[in-house]
Amino acid sequence: MKRKIIIPALLMLLFISVPFVFSGFWVRLITYILMFSVLASALNIISGFTGYAAFGNMVFFGLGAYTTAVLMSKGGFAFFPALLLSGAIAVVAAVLLGMLLLRLKGHYFALGTLGAAEAIKYTVENLTGLTEGGQGITVPPLRGSPAVVNGFFYFFMLLLLIAILVVAWRISKNRLGYAFKAIRANEQAAGVMGINTTRYKIISWSLSAVFTGITGSVYAYWFSYIDPPTVFDVMWVIKMFVMILIGGAGTVFGPVIGAFILETISELVWSRFINLHLGMLGLIIILVVLFMPNGLISLVTTGRGLKDIIKNLHRGTESRL
Amino acid sequence: MLLQSIVNGILFGAVYATIGIGFSLVWGVMNIINVAHGSFIMIGAYLSYTFYTAFGLDPFLSIPLNMVILFAMGYLIQKFVLNRVVRGSVFITLTFTFGLQILIANICLLIWSADYHSIKLSYSSAGITIGSIVIPLVRLGIFLAALVLTGLFYLFMRRTKIGVAINATALNFEGAKTVGIDVGNIYAITFGVSAALAGAAGALISPIMSVNPFLGGSLVGKAFVIAILGGLGSTIGALAGGMVLGLVETVGTVFLPSSFQELLGFLVLVLVLVFRPQGLLGKRFYE
Repeated sequence: MKRKIIIPALLMLLFISVPFVFSGFWVRLITYILMFSVLASALNIISGFTGYAAFGNMVFFGLGAYTTAVLMSKGGFAFFPALLLSGAIAVVAAVLLGMLLLRLKGHYFALGTLGAAEAIKYTVENLTGLTEGGQGITVPPLRGSPAVVNGFFYFFMLLLLIAILVVAWRISKNRLGYAFKAIRANEQAAGVMGINTTRYKIISWSLSAVFTGITGSVYAYWFSYIDPPTVFDVMWVIKMFVMILIGGAGTVFGPVIGAFILETISELVWSRFINLHLGMLGLIIILVVLFMPNGLISLVTTGRGLKDIIKNLHRGTESRL
Repeated sequence: MLLQSIVNGILFGAVYATIGIGFSLVWGVMNIINVAHGSFIMIGAYLSYTFYTAFGLDPFLSIPLNMVILFAMGYLIQKFVLNRVVRGSVFITLTFTFGLQILIANICLLIWSADYHSIKLSYSSAGITIGSIVIPLVRLGIFLAALVLTGLFYLFMRRTKIGVAINATALNFEGAKTVGIDVGNIYAITFGVSAALAGAAGALISPIMSVNPFLGGSLVGKAFVIAILGGLGSTIGALAGGMVLGLVETVGTVFLPSSFQELLGFLVLVLVLVFRPQGLLGKRFYE
């Protein structure tokens, strides 16, 4: 019981102290990692808990970022109202897209979300009057000393992460989460048992979307410049999936662990070899999928040690032919 | 103007068909969405470019060479790597092939640099004029070569023992194993054939498109659309899907600014997925 309080308390203390101890570079880097932790956790709700591979999830990030950018630069909105509206737009998009696409299963759903995301990206790019099109749009930046600005975005991302972890934790223990897991395990059976699968799938995707959209909104304000290829980048979703895989799909803390591991390696090691950056990411993806598709958390939950896994590498996983 | 763009759409649609056939073969038989398919086409285009600049080999003549090289590559990838995860869930296999795609993009970047490369053939401006329509010789050649490839593939799947075994494995995995088909090997051959078609498509696009390491990503988007339009596992469907995409893109740009071209393709993809997931022509074949 004591450990259950002391460890989170120490972690909290550690995270709160970051902006006061580290230099600007590190604070920004950890903010970036926190952002990916939120995004991966949000994707985990629809893909890990509910089992729907939403490869187009960046659409909510892009919509959130663009809503904030347009409202702030053209509508004269302040950041917080713009942020709330961005979250709302993301939910509306998730409900509408969900009604269309969540009827599809497996690969068809994955492709449908990718197609919808690309279609919306090109639409945003073509609405030049509103969005400035492909050249991108600038957002009025937050004014203040670098330390204050860095601290603001750091704590904002930290709060978002705590919020989504609380949501994920609650979901994993209540009716909603059981419904999600039942859909993942066997959708038809879940329907027969009286779960309104369509409704729960849409709830799941909306939860995922609202956090993704709000993160997009914060990103737009933080970077104060966005363009369609960046905020709708499919590659980000792939990175999130790898984070989920590294940490453990369908677990509460897995995506966060994965995000910290992948982004730390990526920023500290590969950013020095710009020419190899992508290839190394590709290689890591392939190795993770081949050898540890159940994630690091499975080391704890199954009681199998790292040694066991290494010993059994040549045998592969249950996905083997 | 409209007639000309219809002609262009049909001529290029045949290449799209070749792209779609290889992609939907892997999807239909192994239930893998191969995101790296576009990268295989890109490798094909780079190979043709290299053969052309190093030995003066015409891209049409490098088709068989490309096919052999890409077949070997595809076979080995499936045999030694993909077969280890092929039974996994959607997001395992999809994430895996994404990884493969960016790995290939990076390798191409290291070998051929980030510059755009293109082939300028001596006969690239020659064409046949019929009334107000111009049919460039190069595009006509590409069209005919793509049709021949499609026909050969159709015969391969119907008339050869391996083709029949691929079909059998696709329709009933356990049944195929029971009658003694080496499914691991059939999977490797399937992936190899798909890659070989991609290699051929790469040769076909090399005289009319410039190639850079990020071409693979945009080509695979087209492959999605064609496969969905055509329905899985149908050669004729893929041919129709390719033609439809070719027409939608070229005719669409007559009425809309060219920046809408990509948008149209993906819009069609989503609409067909939602309203006709079995494809335009196809029956519900798998699942």
